[in-house]
Amino acid sequence: MIRVAVIGYGTMGRLHASIWKKLPGARLAAVADLDPERRQHAEAQLGVKSYVKGEEVIGDPDIDLVDICVPTDGHAELIRRAVEMDKHVFCEKPLVRTREECDLVERLAAEARKKIGVGHVVRFFPEYVAAREKILSGAVGRPAVARAFRGGSLFPRGWQDWYADFARSGGVILDLAIHDIDYLRWCFGEVERVYAKTTRGVTDERMEHAFVMLRFKNGVIAHVEGSWANYPGQFYTALEIAGSKGMVEFDTRKTAAIVYNKAAAGEEWANVAVPESPSLVSPYEAELADMVAAIREGREPKVTLKDAVATVRVALAAVESAETGRVISL
Amino acid sequence: MVRIGIISLAHMHAYSYASAVNQLPNAKLVGIYDDNEERGKRGAEMFRTRFFADAEELLKHVDAVIICSENAFHRKWTELAAKHGKDILCEKPIATSVEDAKAMIKACEEAGVRLQIAFPVRFCTPIRRVKALLDEGAIGEIVAVRGTNRGQMPGGWFIQKELAGGGAVMDHTVHVVDVVRWLTGKEVVSVYAEVDTMIHDVDIDDCGMLFMELEGGIPFTQDPSWSRPKSFHTWGDVTLELVGTQGSLYVDALAQSIRIYDDGAGKLVTQPFTEDMDLALIADFVEMVATKRSPSITGFDGLQAMAVALAAYESARLGQPVALKP
Repeated sequence: MIRVAVIGYGTMGRLHASIWKKLPGARLAAVADLDPERRQHAEAQLGVKSYVKGEEVIGDPDIDLVDICVPTDGHAELIRRAVEMDKHVFCEKPLVRTREECDLVERLAAEARKKIGVGHVVRFFPEYVAAREKILSGAVGRPAVARAFRGGSLFPRGWQDWYADFARSGGVILDLAIHDIDYLRWCFGEVERVYAKTTRGVTDERMEHAFVMLRFKNGVIAHVEGSWANYPGQFYTALEIAGSKGMVEFDTRKTAAIVYNKAAAGEEWANVAVPESPSLVSPYEAELADMVAAIREGREPKVTLKDAVATVRVALAAVESAETGRVISL
Repeated sequence: MVRIGIISLAHMHAYSYASAVNQLPNAKLVGIYDDNEERGKRGAEMFRTRFFADAEELLKHVDAVIICSENAFHRKWTELAAKHGKDILCEKPIATSVEDAKAMIKACEEAGVRLQIAFPVRFCTPIRRVKALLDEGAIGEIVAVRGTNRGQMPGGWFIQKELAGGGAVMDHTVHVVDVVRWLTGKEVVSVYAEVDTMIHDVDIDDCGMLFMELEGGIPFTQDPSWSRPKSFHTWGDVTLELVGTQGSLYVDALAQSIRIYDDGAGKLVTQPFTEDMDLALIADFVEMVATKRSPSITGFDGLQAMAVALAAYESARLGQPVALKP
């Protein structure tokens, strides 16, 4: 039984905690959060002990694995402490915020005695897995042009509004588009060069729309688009990969198996349609189950620290390109 | 009655334009010239008009011409038509070099004839609706634009550089650049592009990606790739997403279509029910000739769109963004 502590009880922390609570082979033992109301919520809802600081829970000898769900700029320091204390680590994406932190966690990984996994959950979404399998089996021939979209909903509101603080989140490229950068690396390998454009600077801090162009070493040209546009819409993702013999594509607005139309009481025009693509095992559950299996089987988790560092480096190159207007070679 | 001649059926849009002329009550298709006699005669028969083996002979009988030759010959035919004092609708791209495009514009100015470039997408009803919404300020300030104009590989002279001037990037950049210039009123100031041949067994670019900047620092991307497989449900697409400070607008110029699961074709095919943009383009051109007003899409518009495509090739060659001359 792996005893788990979740550090950071915000959006992702709550989601992960609810999964750890019922995941076979794991037991949720503690939650750490700076906010007393959140700690109370965790104690009441999950029946676990709570800590104020991540450093404290890392020091708890009854914890085997820490799941880091704090804002991005806090990841590297918690990973450092967890590796020092010989804990297994599962860290939300993006792994770290800066290039210096990339170097740091790479050094840490080299000396770590326990497993480190990273939450690039898109690699567990069934439509993305199926598309990749098709590509690898040659269904589209030589892949040439890839397009990935992610966004369409309101700007995310986090603890202390940290998403709006570029120094903490890295903006829409590092926080959102990174999902697709990672996925495309998983499909096509390493990236040769990056060029990116963003509305940051033109729009206010709570609205960013970004385009990232990736040229892979294998030739593939990719258009990655991430949006935190500040108008109401349905969050969706879309993927298209065209090659010499065919094309695969999907758009989650079209793959929602259920559309639930709910009449709002008394307000005829406030009705909402909620699309849903139900599954018995959610991708978030699958990624944490993989982490448990990796520890039990003594293998690497599906998304390794090395992999996640490479993805962050590409995303940071895109941020640099958007800031400088230059093409960044990796 | 406006008398129209067509110079060359090399570009397949000529067939749609000929059909449009025949549908208009105030226009008459007087004849077709083609340097490919067999193709010209067949076309003349198809549209119940006369075949001319000599372009100058055709020019004597018309008020205006529609030029649908290979891109590299646009200049030659435009200069000839201008010399004969005829108004011109020239298929896009305007030419294959800035030098040729400028020479065409100058020749028409000096001869006092009107030169219009065929960008039918401006006449697509959903696009016109978007223009009206934007003019009302429906999405506030535009902050980002994403376009696509993908297609199947056209083959023929489209894949011969000396005739087409370029492949997918030349073929499919100009429509979207033109319509974005028209919708936003802003010029493209820089372009970075990746361009390659990876999809088809051809000696010309068949895929690419353009990341541009519009005046005011607005990002604008465009995908011109010949990336639609043979099994795709139609020839390609034209889409635009405009992101603004107060909302966003997405338009798919081909969305107005019915889906047909066709056992004969062995695939799903779609058939548009959109109002005919080619007909609207030709009607606009005929009206221009009849009323002697200025063209709604000028030679300068054609030059600006083509210059972006040429800059994309230069960018890909240099591996750097390229600034467009104002």
